[in-house]
Amino acid sequence: MERGRLLVWLAVLVGLALIVLAVVYWAEPAKSLPSWLPGHEAGSNHHHVKHGIASFLVGLACLVFAWFRSAGPRPGRATA
Amino acid sequence: MPISYGQAILLGLLQGFSELFPVSSLGHSVILPRLLGWNIHQNDSYFITFLVATHLATALVLLGFFWRDWLRILRGLGRSLRDREIAEDDTDAKLGWLLVVGTIPAGILGLLLEHKLRSIFASAQSAALFLMVNGVLLFLAEALRRRAPQPQHGDPDGRIARRVSWRDAVGVGTLQAGALIPGISRSGVTMGGGLLVGLSNEDAARFAFLLATPIIGAAAALKLPELFGSQGNGVRGPALVGAICSAVTAYLAVRFLMRFFETNRLTPFAAYCLAAGLACTLYFLV
Repeated sequence: MERGRLLVWLAVLVGLALIVLAVVYWAEPAKSLPSWLPGHEAGSNHHHVKHGIASFLVGLACLVFAWFRSAGPRPGRATA
Repeated sequence: MPISYGQAILLGLLQGFSELFPVSSLGHSVILPRLLGWNIHQNDSYFITFLVATHLATALVLLGFFWRDWLRILRGLGRSLRDREIAEDDTDAKLGWLLVVGTIPAGILGLLLEHKLRSIFASAQSAALFLMVNGVLLFLAEALRRRAPQPQHGDPDGRIARRVSWRDAVGVGTLQAGALIPGISRSGVTMGGGLLVGLSNEDAARFAFLLATPIIGAAAALKLPELFGSQGNGVRGPALVGAICSAVTAYLAVRFLMRFFETNRLTPFAAYCLAAGLACTLYFLV
């Protein structure tokens, strides 16, 4: 697989994973988060809304990056 | 009532000016109550609620002041998403994505570090010290700038889009996170960053105000439930009055600054920050 396509697929996978992670942060209290995840706190009912927003934004950015990178070459039009 | 109407008016007027002047609104909001002997601290929940209202007002004023630009930028973003490319001559799209790229790191750092930094640097003494640091940063930005101030011609957004690279946008945007420390100015560090990447004072100020709008607006919107929830009880009236005062001074400030930076530098604000920070530090020591 060429490097450009690999990067696109990687961005899509990371983007989707981060959006799923955002939903987990919003839905689960800190005590229910996996112990390896930032924000895990035993016995805490606090929902890490801000962690979720941060994760969602980075995930969205990855998907937008993939959207632009996966566009084919356009004859006669310069790209930035 | 935790904040009186008189205090709300004074804090609102101060917030509007100091949010857009490169002198740190948060720093001033921490220092002023201490100087006047008010029992208001930046980590008090009602004070945070009050600040949400004044910040929201400032963001709305910025949005209103640059609404034509935002409309063009949003259209540019839509065009580029539809075409899946940022055309070389589409400066609105390029500027729009520069703002997105600059906002993401600042937003993430803000979300993750705001609470910690707010509790570490809560005192008026540290705000006064960082006000001096802010002054030094502004002096340095002027000293290290790549080009001297000169009259600008043509479309300012086009100039910014051509001059600022993606890497520059990430760098300048990330600098905004410095404003989480009371005493460090968001507009100051972004204007300084703009100068370092080769923008004129006028364009650096414009870029800083455009960058600030989504961050200030989002930060305020995120905490809006606190204003309308139980935390806002007893502070909504003063918050509304403070927000109106803040909107008035923010409008005057952005109008003044956009003219001021056509021909002037950051130096007067740097001198003010150094002098005010030093005076407050000495006052708090005595």
